[in-house]
Amino acid sequence: MAAMEIHFTLNGQPVAVQAEPDEMLLEVLRRELGLRSVRETCGLGICGACTALLNGQPISTCILLAPLAEGCDITTVEGLGGRHPVQRAFEEVQAFQCGYCTPGMILTIKALLEEQPEPDEETIRRALGGNLCRCGCYLKIIQATQRAAVLLAEERRRQVERSAASTS
Amino acid sequence: MARHIPAWLAPTSLEEALELRARYGEEATVVAGGTFVGILMNQGLLQPAALLTLRQIPQLAYLRIEDADASGQPLLRIGAMTTHRALERSPLVQRGWPVLAATFALVASPRVRNQATVGGVLADADYASDPPALLHALEASVVARSLQGERLIPVEELIIGHYETSLRPDELLTEVRVPRTMEGAVYRKFRSRSSEDRPCVAVAAVRRRGRLRVVVGAVAERPQYFPEICALAEGQAPIEAALAREIGERYAAAIEPISDARGSAHYRRRVIAVEVRRALEDLNRIIATEGGSQRHA
Ligand SMILES: Cc1cc2nc3c(=O)[nH]c(=O)nc-3n(C[C@H](O)[C@H](O)[C@H](O)COP(=O)(O)OP(=O)(O)OC[C@H]3O[C@@H](n4cnc5c(N)ncnc54)[C@H](O)[C@@H]3O)c2cc1C
Ligand code: FES
Ligand code: FES
Repeated sequence: MAAMEIHFTLNGQPVAVQAEPDEMLLEVLRRELGLRSVRETCGLGICGACTALLNGQPISTCILLAPLAEGCDITTVEGLGGRHPVQRAFEEVQAFQCGYCTPGMILTIKALLEEQPEPDEETIRRALGGNLCRCGCYLKIIQATQRAAVLLAEERRRQVERSAASTS
Repeated sequence: MARHIPAWLAPTSLEEALELRARYGEEATVVAGGTFVGILMNQGLLQPAALLTLRQIPQLAYLRIEDADASGQPLLRIGAMTTHRALERSPLVQRGWPVLAATFALVASPRVRNQATVGGVLADADYASDPPALLHALEASVVARSLQGERLIPVEELIIGHYETSLRPDELLTEVRVPRTMEGAVYRKFRSRSSEDRPCVAVAAVRRRGRLRVVVGAVAERPQYFPEICALAEGQAPIEAALAREIGERYAAAIEPISDARGSAHYRRRVIAVEVRRALEDLNRIIATEGGSQRHA
């Protein structure tokens, strides 16, 4: 069987890509769509460097057969636009050295904070248990998560104020 | 040499999936969450003629409580394509089967749990997985469907060896059925390396209608259960300290542990004795305080 066409939403845009049925989504995102934030490291689902969000939840693209993404909503860090509160928190706290693990960390934290806006430290550690940072920035990454929670709360408050102002 | 590219079979109904399963048999690898299949393919260990995915079959992902089984107890029915994450976060499961929700939450990382399915982890029969030992101790069964009809297989008889199940090549695992926990249930996952690792030694202990069932996972090719050792606790509730220690030591002596990167056979044997004892202590505590079930990490 030859390559097949797979359709999904990538960072808000519908896409159609060619892939072989036994290729992983990681290869397709990099080769067909030019995304460099998903990075193959272990290829075993362990390290988190290849993380993307599938319907809002983190998954390892290195072990996700590409055709399983059919009809799904895929988000990579490119789709966050650079000024997302989690990204701003990483910059402020300087929660990286080489930056290799950072996209996976940011996406995992984004999904966590959407589910649990005020996680305690234990919850943060558990959520990030499968994301490895070879530079050992873990403490800073936890701080960045806490800072991102604050920034997101501020953003929500401003939104409420804006909508209150526009209706009054 | 040209690489062989497998066919991608994506049925949208169970009936269609069963027909494909009958037609292809072992020529097609079933893909549920695809975590295990993905790793095998990455490593070049699997080159099937076809991949048969169950992902497009919505009727295989559900969590339902059936009113009562023959003994008047409610039964939890889990569709094979339910993800670990959906199960662990279900209020239905958290309320009625807390030990189950807590155990699935101990598997790997959130990423793996978003992808991996309840059917996949059982059909996989990996010796180092968490859910099999617990489901065995809870006396859960699976439904195996084929064009011929369906069979109900106790988890105890499903996993028969190293990555080996009693499913036939024309069958699909479609559902897992879990009876109510009753007096109490605990699961302890002992890891020797890191928090998101597979277990080095896993112990599930359940008390139902006065009978104890201790199942040790991740130490041999399949979950280990010794009814004759558990019978020592017959009619003993709580299990006193000396008996808990004795049961732990007897399990350690009865099991022939494997050696792997998570621990040598010698190390595992010592940990089994301690973890079984601790599981029984936990079980006493849980039955005394809440008459319910809980997990311990
Ligand atoms: C990094 C990592 C860490 C992990 N850590 C843990 C851990 O700590 N604890 C733990 O318990 N597990 C762990 N796992 C295992 C993980 O839970 C399994 O890979 C997973 O359960 C398999 O589920 P799946 O749905 O992805 O199965 P798949 O990979 O899709 O399938 C697994 C096998 O079962 C067959 N199969 C699947 N569904 C069916 C069906 N319905 N009928 C018939 N055959 C079927 C497939 O053909 C295949 O052979 C880990 C996995 C990874 C990648
Ligand atoms: S490269 Fe995918 S998890 Fe490591
Ligand atoms: S910043 Fe280098 S791997 Fe995390």
